[in-house]
Amino acid sequence: MPEPQRPRTDDRGDEGLSLSGEDAEAGAAAANDLEDLFENAPCGYVSTDKDGRITRANATLAQWISASAADLVGKRFSELLTIGGKLYYETHFSPLLRMQGSFTEVALDLACEGGRKLPVLVNAVERRDDAGKPLFVRITIFNASERRRYERSLVEAKAAAEQAMHAEHAAAELREQFIAVLGHDLRNPLASIAGGIRLIGKESVSERGRKVLDLMEGSIVRASTLIDNVMDFARARLGSGIGLSPDPNTRIAPVIEQVVAELRSIARDRTIQARIDPDLDVEADHGRIGQLVSNLLGNALTHGSAEQPVRLTATTAAGMFEISVANGGAPISPDAMEHLFQPFFRGSVRPSQQGLGLGLHIAAEIAKAHGGTIGVASDDVETRFTFTMPCRQEAVEVE
Amino acid sequence: MSTILQRHNAKISGSGATTMMFAHGFGCDQNMWRFVAPAFEDEFSVLMFDHIGAGGSDHSVYEPERYATLAGYADDVVELARASEIERGVFVGHSVSAMIGILAAKQAPELFDTLILVGPSPRYTDDGDYIGGFAEPQIEDLLEFLDSNHLGWSQVMAPAIMANPDRPELAQELTDSFCRSDPEIAKRFARATFLSDNRDDLAGVKARTLILQCRDDVIAPISVGEFVHQAIPGSEFVVLDATGHCPNLSAPEQTIAAMKAFL
Repeated sequence: MPEPQRPRTDDRGDEGLSLSGEDAEAGAAAANDLEDLFENAPCGYVSTDKDGRITRANATLAQWISASAADLVGKRFSELLTIGGKLYYETHFSPLLRMQGSFTEVALDLACEGGRKLPVLVNAVERRDDAGKPLFVRITIFNASERRRYERSLVEAKAAAEQAMHAEHAAAELREQFIAVLGHDLRNPLASIAGGIRLIGKESVSERGRKVLDLMEGSIVRASTLIDNVMDFARARLGSGIGLSPDPNTRIAPVIEQVVAELRSIARDRTIQARIDPDLDVEADHGRIGQLVSNLLGNALTHGSAEQPVRLTATTAAGMFEISVANGGAPISPDAMEHLFQPFFRGSVRPSQQGLGLGLHIAAEIAKAHGGTIGVASDDVETRFTFTMPCRQEAVEVE
Repeated sequence: MSTILQRHNAKISGSGATTMMFAHGFGCDQNMWRFVAPAFEDEFSVLMFDHIGAGGSDHSVYEPERYATLAGYADDVVELARASEIERGVFVGHSVSAMIGILAAKQAPELFDTLILVGPSPRYTDDGDYIGGFAEPQIEDLLEFLDSNHLGWSQVMAPAIMANPDRPELAQELTDSFCRSDPEIAKRFARATFLSDNRDDLAGVKARTLILQCRDDVIAPISVGEFVHQAIPGSEFVVLDATGHCPNLSAPEQTIAAMKAFL
């Protein structure tokens, strides 16, 4: 094989040859050391011709794969690799080397005697003449058993984490499905109880009995609201979101009045002051707006001071529909303010107070579905939730 | 909506009534042809492209189902050739794209009347008397290798790949994308490639066919090249004095000379 043209930077050998006299001995020692450095370096060295045929390999590499260095001469470098690595080398790294002139930190496995694999990291550089023609290739091989084991455990850990996450997702979905089904199935017996109460109400009942029936009716309203919220939450989590079916009838005042009346019947010891513009003209899903009002009132009754009235106003102005619900009592702490609309946030309620902490969350979702928002202001005087939405949906939806 | 040419990062150059379409194999991208294709630009229109999932193609349109077998890639070649209004053209396919070209020509014979197959293999695994060069478990070893190697792989593919001061013509863009591929796509392409069996498709080839074979190719050994030659009626078989699987990179002059002699 012709001596490859020496690359520009590699002129140390010539310097070594120019040593003379008493320096010769030291020079010879240095040369021996270089030879030793090549043969017994703590890494594998391979030189190949431009076609990838090995012209020289060092002792370290030969020892790793239990071959003799002389036997390696004439083989293609890729023949030292496992089948997978060989295919990969020929289809990826060999072209890459030709194209870029080098590659670094390629992970490959050396095929050792007896089917053993030695994981290595490989760097290579192609030397070229001035015209850019390839001359030869230098390859450095590092034992990377530990490193690759570490990388493999990282990959496995990542896969395990992903799997755990998927399992968690699946479990969460199952839980939410369970909630949705349970909520749905609770509605039927509740409806029978409500029907029964209405029937008994038509009979002659004592004054005391009438009071009990009223209380029962209030409890059914509360239970229905809870079920609605839970099911909406589960539905939203399951990806179907809060569905809207806007009513063609745009008179919404009676709907709000109805909800106020229901809440009054539940909380007989409390005062709810309502100022509802009878001519409200709003395009919205009436059922949903009723649910929103119910949730805001329920929240005010639960958290507001019992000594002060809950005040509701429903008005329109400048194309915007606004419902505000205010209560007295201690202000909402800044900390609680941040989590107010998150599901299952219950603030600092007493254990006796009912609620899942879904009311405000669902109200906010309903507002969002209508292209509206819910704002909150709270100080020592009052806490006020204000829902606003455009009176006409086209205004936001059509361009 | 992008055009099929854009999705395949197609580059058209040269001038001539006849179009030569260059298809790259498993591993890299159309730059595989950069030392060869320019030699034909005087006489031919030259169309180079990336398979979907490779190089500068639109990876978002990669569909695992469509590309589970070589047929999906062949459909792409047909669509690309039709979109480029190729008729009686020359198809040049390296490695697995040789078989992709055969499938495309079978499906739409009017597109290509000449096929140039560089390092073709109709089946990589041994089967009875047929010697493909690999045992099936060895191919599984490759697939497993792709699985276990993607850390090292992504490292190689990172933009940190050294720019080459000796080869200023290799733009950074090329350096970054050449041979880079999504490990999942690479795995599927490897499966589609190395588990394919297209031996029965060879006899039906009507186009003039040149088979270019490297002297010493671990992926497609000479015996496989000879098998293809025997199976394709009237084909020509040229063994290049080159080693490895990519004569288009390692021996471009010889590759060009053999192609020109045939054309």
